[in-house]
Amino acid sequence: MNCRRLALWVLLAALPAAFASPAFAQRVEPPPANLPPMGGPPDASVPPSVPTEPTTPELIVDLSLARVSITSAFQGESILMFGMFDPPGEIVVVVQGPAARETVMRKQRVLGLWLNTGRQSFDDVPAYYAIAASQPLQRLLARGAGGEILSLEDRLSTIKPATPRLSEELAKFRSGLVEVKRREGLYPAAIGQVTVQAGRLFRVDLPFPSRLPEGIYEVKAYLLRDGVIVAAVSRPLPVGKVGFSAQLAGWSVHDGPLYGLGAILMALIAGWLGGAIVRRL
Amino acid sequence: MEIYLPIAEQSMNVFILLGLGAAAGLLAGMFGVGGGFLATPLLIFVGIPPAVAVASQANQVIANSVSSLQVQWRRGNVDLRMGLVLLLGGMIGSSAGVSLFTYLKRIGQIDFVIAVLYVVMLSSIGLLMLAESLRTYLKRRRNPEGPRGKLHTHYLVHRLPLKLRFYKSKLYISALLPLGLGFLIGILSAILGVGGGFVLVPAMIYLLGMPTSVVIGTSNFQILFVAANVTFLQAVTNGTVDVVLALLLILGGVVGAPIGSRIAAKLPGVALRGLMSILVLAVAAELLTELLRTPSSIYSLGTREVLP
Repeated sequence: MNCRRLALWVLLAALPAAFASPAFAQRVEPPPANLPPMGGPPDASVPPSVPTEPTTPELIVDLSLARVSITSAFQGESILMFGMFDPPGEIVVVVQGPAARETVMRKQRVLGLWLNTGRQSFDDVPAYYAIAASQPLQRLLARGAGGEILSLEDRLSTIKPATPRLSEELAKFRSGLVEVKRREGLYPAAIGQVTVQAGRLFRVDLPFPSRLPEGIYEVKAYLLRDGVIVAAVSRPLPVGKVGFSAQLAGWSVHDGPLYGLGAILMALIAGWLGGAIVRRL
Repeated sequence: MEIYLPIAEQSMNVFILLGLGAAAGLLAGMFGVGGGFLATPLLIFVGIPPAVAVASQANQVIANSVSSLQVQWRRGNVDLRMGLVLLLGGMIGSSAGVSLFTYLKRIGQIDFVIAVLYVVMLSSIGLLMLAESLRTYLKRRRNPEGPRGKLHTHYLVHRLPLKLRFYKSKLYISALLPLGLGFLIGILSAILGVGGGFVLVPAMIYLLGMPTSVVIGTSNFQILFVAANVTFLQAVTNGTVDVVLALLLILGGVVGAPIGSRIAAKLPGVALRGLMSILVLAVAAELLTELLRTPSSIYSLGTREVLP
């Protein structure tokens, strides 16, 4: 606990310097990184700051927020991961969203109109995938190949098509998937920048867009020496709707009839009152 | 000010949505029809997924028609018998429509079908209205008095079986006709999220021959229940009704409607219809260009399925 607090203080002192770094500025999504958390008080159900798995003493990490709360004012979020490591070494951070089946659709011009003509489902597609590193990734991984650290391309090469297809066509759909996910900010194109301070403190901003699928995300930090992973710490990051929007979405999914009746009632009351008020005026 | 829409799963500017609702309400007030047929395409233009736009718009239509029905009912302008026959057709049509909607959504064609139907519907309505208002305008210039049309005409409709007496409408016609009409409006309502007043009202006047005084009230009666049915079924089968979105549209509409009726009272009817037809055609043209233009990306994603 003491160590973590110390790390936090040192880090706070280092903040201005980190802000000045152009690489950092590029990575940050619109709101500045150190905005107060939007989602109310921290949730007690979230795992404590110290990871439950035996911590490798060489690497300690924490997140600025224990969860991403999708409230009615949610516009995306930038989460700070920070920590300390025993030098020498380089840091790589991989963030992965929950895996699910995604269906990619392809448009084609038919009689002058554009409509979906092709579709392909893939299983085990991560909802979100981002990598950040303290050095260009190729250089870090080239020497001994980081083993379990996968670039987005490598990660996606493992997704399984739900239905068989020519591999040439599959590759096209796969690149289509990346294209759409990139556009939505779910597969950030650039490798994020892990900033190292004083040779042993690191920080990295993890940008999450406003259209963010829910689920338990995994943030994993690796310490590499000579291209070999010497320590790794993984932290779960729950992403979910909270408050009013969570309740509404929950009703809609789990109790459609109730939600439908509620929607009807809401419109009846609003229309009735609205009409009555307007006629009074 | 941004607000997160829990079902559309994205944040959107509150004032854009309120403004859209107000614009639809303005049209409703000006032309006496629900603004849904313009609001839904506009929602799609600002980036709401078409399936959510349609279902939430159906929810908004409930509010629109209940506030109109309030007045019409008190004035006794509802032909209940006619309304119930229309409603029966409407219930069957809208239930079938939601099933069709669900199927189209599953095969990934719903966005395309919504756009094409809107283009067809808006352009035909727009052209008809434009032609009609031009004709009236020219006729009036030639003959300011204007000839009176025939009061009653007999078509095929009077020869169909299952004839029913509709006392309030002073009609003795086959029930199949309002039933079929209700059915079509129900399908339209389910797939496009509109009340269907802009089709229903002229059809009731010209096709069924109903007196104008009871048309608005009776159509609102049918629309209210059909929209409620669509909202319910969409919520149950597709989960695409966004109540936050609907509420914002309703609130905007409450502000827009009285302004619209005040404008309508000042402008001559021909000018009003001419204006409306141009607006409708502009929206149809925009939707058509979207369909014809090479998209920035030919790829899109369907619904994410979390497998157990």
